[in-house]
Amino acid sequence: MSDQININVNGSEIRTDSDQLIIEACEDSGIHIPRFCWHKRMDPVGMCRMCLVEIETPRGKALVPSCTTKVSEDLIVDTESEVVKKAQEGVLEFLLINHPLDCPVCDKAGECPLQDQTMAYGPGESRFVEDKRHFEKPIPISEIILLDRERCILCARCTRFSDEISGDPLIEFIQRGNKTQVNTFPDEPFRSYFSGNTVQICPVGALTSTSYRFKARPWDLKKVSSTSNCSSMGCSVELNVSQNKMLRILGEDNEFTNQGWLSDKGRYNFEYLHSENRILKPVLNNDSTNEISINESMELISNEISADDNSNISFIVGHNSTNEEYYALNNFVENLNKVNKDQNMNVYLSDDYLYEGFFQNNDLLGKVQDLDSVDTIILWAQDIKDNLPTLYLRIRQAVKNGKKLVIFGHTNTAMKELADSYFGQEIISKNLEFNVEISEIPNFNELINDKNVLAIIGKSSPIQNTNSISNLINYLDKNSNLKILNCFSKGNTFGALQNIDLVKGLNEFINEFDGSKNNIVFTIGSNPVNSSIHSNQIKDKLINANFVISLDLFKNETTELANIILPTTSFGEKEGTFTNLEMRTLKQNKILPTPGSVLNEWEYWSMMLNKIDIENNYESEFELNLQLCEEYLDKDNVPSFDNLNKPSNLDGVLNSKSINIEIQNVEPEKIEILFVNRLYGDSSTQINSPSISMLGAERFIEMNNDTFIKHNLSSYTVNLVQGVSTLQVKIKINNHLPNELIIAPLNRRGFRDIDTTKPYELIEVKNLEELSVN
Amino acid sequence: MSWDNELLERAHKIIELYPQKRSALGPLLYLAQEKDGFISDDSIVEISNLVDITEVQVKSVSSFYSMYKEEQTGTYLLSVCKSISCEINDSRSVINSVKEFTGLENYETDQDKLFTFEEVECIGACGGAPAVQVNYETVEGLTPEKTIEMCEWLKNDKPEIIVADQLQNKFGGTKSFDWAIEDNTGSAYTVPGFQNIGTAKEKDN
Ligand code: SF4
Ligand code: FES
Ligand code: FES
Repeated sequence: MSDQININVNGSEIRTDSDQLIIEACEDSGIHIPRFCWHKRMDPVGMCRMCLVEIETPRGKALVPSCTTKVSEDLIVDTESEVVKKAQEGVLEFLLINHPLDCPVCDKAGECPLQDQTMAYGPGESRFVEDKRHFEKPIPISEIILLDRERCILCARCTRFSDEISGDPLIEFIQRGNKTQVNTFPDEPFRSYFSGNTVQICPVGALTSTSYRFKARPWDLKKVSSTSNCSSMGCSVELNVSQNKMLRILGEDNEFTNQGWLSDKGRYNFEYLHSENRILKPVLNNDSTNEISINESMELISNEISADDNSNISFIVGHNSTNEEYYALNNFVENLNKVNKDQNMNVYLSDDYLYEGFFQNNDLLGKVQDLDSVDTIILWAQDIKDNLPTLYLRIRQAVKNGKKLVIFGHTNTAMKELADSYFGQEIISKNLEFNVEISEIPNFNELINDKNVLAIIGKSSPIQNTNSISNLINYLDKNSNLKILNCFSKGNTFGALQNIDLVKGLNEFINEFDGSKNNIVFTIGSNPVNSSIHSNQIKDKLINANFVISLDLFKNETTELANIILPTTSFGEKEGTFTNLEMRTLKQNKILPTPGSVLNEWEYWSMMLNKIDIENNYESEFELNLQLCEEYLDKDNVPSFDNLNKPSNLDGVLNSKSINIEIQNVEPEKIEILFVNRLYGDSSTQINSPSISMLGAERFIEMNNDTFIKHNLSSYTVNLVQGVSTLQVKIKINNHLPNELIIAPLNRRGFRDIDTTKPYELIEVKNLEELSVN
Repeated sequence: MSWDNELLERAHKIIELYPQKRSALGPLLYLAQEKDGFISDDSIVEISNLVDITEVQVKSVSSFYSMYKEEQTGTYLLSVCKSISCEINDSRSVINSVKEFTGLENYETDQDKLFTFEEVECIGACGGAPAVQVNYETVEGLTPEKTIEMCEWLKNDKPEIIVADQLQNKFGGTKSFDWAIEDNTGSAYTVPGFQNIGTAKEKDN
């Protein structure tokens, strides 16, 4: 903590941190200084001069940019003097010289800092009579972002973001003087996982997104704060709705999680909400013409459940339910169990990366914020950039601020440049086990011994013996001051873990499935037939099951096998809570009306109970929330709706519950193909969101150059052949990978038929015609 | 790969001179210009790989500085100073004589790719104004007549290496000051002749 000092702004005393900038100090005391280029999450550059203020110096008053000048003891600042006003007018007059006056057709109009500040601080008239500079109206700089260079005021927010924050500087200023423009390199589009942030921070309408262009006027938008489902970071977002349609998602600045940024998936994955493919009525036997009423469907299901006292009932849950919905499901299971002790009921989470994790000792659980205070960050988990993109940004930031990063294994190659130590094939085998004793790892001990360490730990591959991970954690626990961030990346996984008494994995589902019994399977917001390396086996089991009920938004590979599909509400259509990977619980809010005769998941559970004549004791999300809050370990600060709605708790509430995961460790196996989940894939939500649907289409594998040469390949398009399956793929060279290991995306079309442990062949595609077939 | 081994070897030597790879960007861009007479996109890709920054970051630098040419230049780049000292010593007529002889407007290159003409800001030869550079080799104290003579000589003799001293002796007038040392090295491309990056060439006679 830095010292507090006094400064004087416009005649009043302000107390502030001694290392703050004038603009920050004023902002914190409620004095707004206009600005274009300064952004609190990025380094100041002093590009636009809009923030000029007058300060007293030993040589008299001086105009200085408040975004690059630090406060000092007894500094006297004037933000409203005549001189300041004249400067502001001058800056705006200059900025408007080349800025087109196309506000009537500009998406930014109405929420445009240039428009607003011109109104508030501008000269009212321009003396410029010459021609404005002209550029071709918006040019696409990626599949989802457009750039209108005429509107750009050269504040460099976008270019700084891509360089400083996301680390993929694919846009830059080109040319000089009057010709200066933001642009990409020809044939090298702005393909960044974080490109949408530049649209949000652009202070004019120069950067726009395909999904929002010409869709609405800011004053028509209804807005509510919520929490994104995109990953288990639980990024704070603002949902923008007009005429009952979600039109835009913006990042909100939550100090503890995303700090204002979002991945493009979190930002643009919403159009599915209004897709015509959504299921709006209960459907029988996957036959769209066979719609039934909710009452009928409940009748059928409860009959099925009551018919056999000895049946197995399995629940395969996804990661998009709210805590309240998981709790209601758990309550359903509990209640059924009470009435019928012989029925065998189990809940399985549809995530191949689930394992027992490290939850035994709550004191060891780390927080995202620890990234900024520890000495060393240890990372051994699935690909963070693709699966927890905003955590990736936080790690980048921490490294920039001097934290040491140590990476193990082969999945986080994209972060190798950031790492102090990257332990690849010499240390970690292809099967993700240690090749050497941990104590013998070169230069490792000095990074951890007696240091504050945050270990971000999870499985790197769906099939992985986790002994090595446990050994590492034990070693770290002995030798360092350890905190652990359990790295399950998907949506509200931690909400499921907190609110379901016992959670198992998909492998358990397969092993425990007893074909000799009457089997009833519920799939809840999950599509295990398409999203798991066990897909084929799961499909067999579901075909084998006596009755399958799917609660979902869309028809998919799993609902195809369902006897009844129950349509459910989605993100933005339901109220509830969400728990992120550091056990921070945040609020999700409803802003859209419920479509068709769709119900919340919990309503189905409650109705089913009623049908089976079991009294249930809740009637709303609100009551569910109150009940689930009773189980938190810290009774004083529970994430109840009321508590979370308090202004002081908008950033969420940290609290834990006991967590029980039962997953059998697998035998070490030989991994031939390492599967990773890419940010974009073929999930039903993404496929039904036209603006981003094509981003997960490319099929590629990665290998290092030696492996490429060893396979004797001459072209970068090949057939990946394994047994009877053949898949045409592109090869990308990634020299951080170990020899003879290829990486393939699990969530792209076609890859689920590939077995991670079986040998494969790469065969050249000879025929050029074959090449053009996708 | 658009750069041959020899060029790559020179590039690596240059990179070694700096503590950070990206610091070598400036000289590497000169190599690119030496190769093609301008900074081609292929060279940008090459440089971006060599110094580990993105292509557009290279482009940002190369398009900022006017001595990195975005378009093909002729064999001889005629940079005529138009700044104040030269202006008051009648650079206008020197400029006009070059324009007339070559038939070129500012920043144009002729069809034979022999001359590129540009008007430039002060080239640091004010004491000998008006001044001109041919491939960044300076000649001072020019008259319109001498300028045309020089252009004719370039056109007819097509010297491979341009050396400032030689230009000065043949066509120049008053010099800003006397260097006293005879310098026999000059430039063979539309790139300044720097010994440490190998763009300077020695004239044998
Ligand atoms: S495009 Fe927008 S964010 Fe980028 S420099 Fe221009 S005005 Fe600033
Ligand atoms: S905000 Fe300070 S110069 Fe732009
Ligand atoms: S003004 Fe021409 S050389 Fe300086």
